[in-house]
Amino acid sequence: MAVAISAAALLPVLGLLLLVLWMGFWQNGPGEPIVYTTSHYRKIFTDAFTYKTFLNTLGFATTAVLVALFFAIPLAWLVERTNLTGKSFILAIVTLGALLPTFFTAMGWVFLLHPRIGIVNRFLMDSFGLTQAPLNVASIVGMGWVEGLGLSSIAFVMIVATYRSMDPSLEEAARVHGLGILRTLVYVTLPLTFPGILAAFIYVFTIALSAFEVPAIIGMSNKIFTFATFIFYKIQPLEELPSYGVAGAVSTILIVLALLLSWSYFRLLRFSHRYAVVTGKAYRPQPIELGSKGRILAWSFLGFYFTVAKLLPLLLLVWAALLRYFQPPSWAALAQVSMNNFYGLPWKLLLQGAWNTVILMLAVPTLTLFICLAISWTVLRSGVRFRVLFDAVAFLPHAVPHLILAIATMFAALFLLRNVVPLYGSLMILVFVYTISRISFATRIINNSLAQIHPELEEAAFVGGLKLLQVMWKILIPLLKPALVYAWIWMALLCYRELTMASVLVTSQANVTLPMIVWGLWLGGSLNQAAAANLVVLICMLPVVLLYFVFGRRSRIAEGA
Amino acid sequence: MISIAGVSKNFSADDRSVAALRSVHLEVNRGEFFVLLGPSGSGKTTLLRAVAGLEKPDQGEISLDGKVVYSRSQGLCAPPEERQVGMVFQSYAIWPHLTVAENIGLVLTHGRLRLSRKAAAERIRYSLSLVQLQDFETRPARLLSGGQQQRVALARALAINPALVLMDEPLSNLDARLREEVRTNIKKLAVQIGMTVLYVTHDQIEAMVLADRIAVMAHGEILQVGRPAELYRRPASALVAEFFGSINWIRGMVHGNNRIETELGPLWIADSRHCYGAVIVGVRPEDVHLRSSNEGENRIEGKVRTSVFLGDQIVSEIDVQGKILIAKGSPDDGEPSDTVFVYLPRDRLVVFSDRVPSNSLE
Repeated sequence: MAVAISAAALLPVLGLLLLVLWMGFWQNGPGEPIVYTTSHYRKIFTDAFTYKTFLNTLGFATTAVLVALFFAIPLAWLVERTNLTGKSFILAIVTLGALLPTFFTAMGWVFLLHPRIGIVNRFLMDSFGLTQAPLNVASIVGMGWVEGLGLSSIAFVMIVATYRSMDPSLEEAARVHGLGILRTLVYVTLPLTFPGILAAFIYVFTIALSAFEVPAIIGMSNKIFTFATFIFYKIQPLEELPSYGVAGAVSTILIVLALLLSWSYFRLLRFSHRYAVVTGKAYRPQPIELGSKGRILAWSFLGFYFTVAKLLPLLLLVWAALLRYFQPPSWAALAQVSMNNFYGLPWKLLLQGAWNTVILMLAVPTLTLFICLAISWTVLRSGVRFRVLFDAVAFLPHAVPHLILAIATMFAALFLLRNVVPLYGSLMILVFVYTISRISFATRIINNSLAQIHPELEEAAFVGGLKLLQVMWKILIPLLKPALVYAWIWMALLCYRELTMASVLVTSQANVTLPMIVWGLWLGGSLNQAAAANLVVLICMLPVVLLYFVFGRRSRIAEGA
Repeated sequence: MISIAGVSKNFSADDRSVAALRSVHLEVNRGEFFVLLGPSGSGKTTLLRAVAGLEKPDQGEISLDGKVVYSRSQGLCAPPEERQVGMVFQSYAIWPHLTVAENIGLVLTHGRLRLSRKAAAERIRYSLSLVQLQDFETRPARLLSGGQQQRVALARALAINPALVLMDEPLSNLDARLREEVRTNIKKLAVQIGMTVLYVTHDQIEAMVLADRIAVMAHGEILQVGRPAELYRRPASALVAEFFGSINWIRGMVHGNNRIETELGPLWIADSRHCYGAVIVGVRPEDVHLRSSNEGENRIEGKVRTSVFLGDQIVSEIDVQGKILIAKGSPDDGEPSDTVFVYLPRDRLVVFSDRVPSNSLE
């Protein structure tokens, strides 16, 4: 039965991918008789605009990774290898930063660095009499910077895991035999963590390559496209008709790229695991003592990170939310401060969005865990032939950009299933695609946990006369509970902040979600109202974050990402 | 060579503090093979790491070769790289991104000695020859077997020609057969180059084979220091006695000079000056002799319950007035008959004040 559930859940994944592939060869829109063509692919490789988009995407993703690693590597080293006070708190906060919606920071940075309204630019122009804005967030580097800040949490979690999996006595052996701290770092620590850092590089790069929120919030209105926004634009253009063929072709290329990157990621990971030695003792190495100079340096770095990644965007959003028109802080501006933006919010819509979001947060993690238990059991326990195939397919939703999953789902609902099930515009379609997109994450968590449980524990129950379902319910689920609770809460939080997939599939009030309302206000040009809505959304998220702190954090943080 | 005075160390784990070392004093002489023996959690590894500089004690003083390397009162704690020791780790800590020769070379060229490449190559060859790995120089370290890694670790520790070599359970990850072989080699090598060794293990056989002297540790304290035979024959406490192999315990009360009234009847001991009141008498199984007559002192009648032939010895369970004593005898003595007289020689009995220490070490 478990096998049947896994198959039923994984077949749609393959179906969606084939659909994208198929879409790329359509000459005309759906509804008309199908004519096949390869012209989209030819156009992509010859057209100057798509070529530029390709370079944009590359530059954007590279900047994002470099920014993320610039913060993540020193932070991970400080937390894992030094005696900095409050390490475990820093670890928790930085990890939790992965949940801060990227559209939130993106909006904050627009208010800071937009060439026309950004307060930093206005300040610099007024102070130095410049005629042009010196800094521009609506550029490849600017967007990469914002995306990198958002991805720094994931990179941090991965690099912490690299440090942890490394046998600390490898560094101690160097110290004892006469290499100082610096030489140990150069000749032992860095070479040994290099594969792990490179793996984190590729992992984060893959995410950035298809990242949607930052290019959508900052880039689209300024006509700067990356692959993700380009595809989105082809599906929901402002003037022309949607061209699914082009979207399908670009998506296919993006999928191939992502799969290649994921493949090299796993190769590297295996390589770095060769360096991980399992020690007989579970001791933590004596942390390196920071002198007073080192402590000041460390705290300045931490302060800088939290300021640019969290504090500044938050302050700017609060400031924007209190004003009718955005303007730099001044006495005149202070006189205009009011709560009017909050009063003026579309509260009825927000309530509907909150209701939908709550349903998603309850339904999606539960459904995903149910499916992924079946998949993990199939892969690790059932002994079914082709079980490795299940594992591979369960990994696909991670590698395939979520935007593309959403587009394929929309396409299927709109044209293939229209007369079978009325999915389009319903909340069900969001439940479906959110669940599909989280299968990789949940499978990995459950796989890791299930691998720690000796099969004989279940076999003893089988021998004792329990049936498969009873074994699952009485033995496996209680043993897996910490991992399940952690995965459930984390997925619920990811559901809450999800904008990418919603942007394609939310088409009516019936399935509107909170992030979509924020985005709708932003796209409609009411930036200050969008800021207010964003704050409301963020405040509503806090109780769930608290839940995570109380229940979820006990299981291993390093499994996150 | 090593002088440790009043060294204490507390660890805080899960918001409570655990004493890993409680005011430890220890002197190790030059050229000595010194073993720290104790169960896990006894503090032996912490003590070794404190000597290496990998752990900073909370109290006390440590000197190596007459030079103070740690002193709480002077606020001094020399980093590991300045202590000039060699060390073999439990996991070997062979750098997997380097070759065998590079593993040793890195220490020689970038460690304290700062040798030239040429001088280092010479030393690499020499130290590899000490562990019979001459032909492995260019082999990537991660392709070595566990035993080979262990030997590279040893070669690396010896390469800098250290006055002191520290070894942290170096044999615990090897399989049983290999362990015996490597054990012998380490001992030979230590004698051959006359090095001072501080060696940590939880295996008392290993300790007795290797050590000139042993310090038995438990709960962060040193229970007794002595030569292997001393610790076996004259343990200072029941804890130490139990740690060095199985032993029979008999309860009793001291009654006059050298005589103890036990649960099995009166027993004579060699010297009762240091004990009084309720005591326990310990006797090792090989010192429980089976006789056919009750002529002579310390003989008690008993029934043989089981008797197992193990080739080089016969192990019997003797029921003496409802109490089971284990006896180990030579097969040459023949199968014991049903009823025997247990003979406990008075110079082989150890006496401690009453506290049966079963499993108290764990």
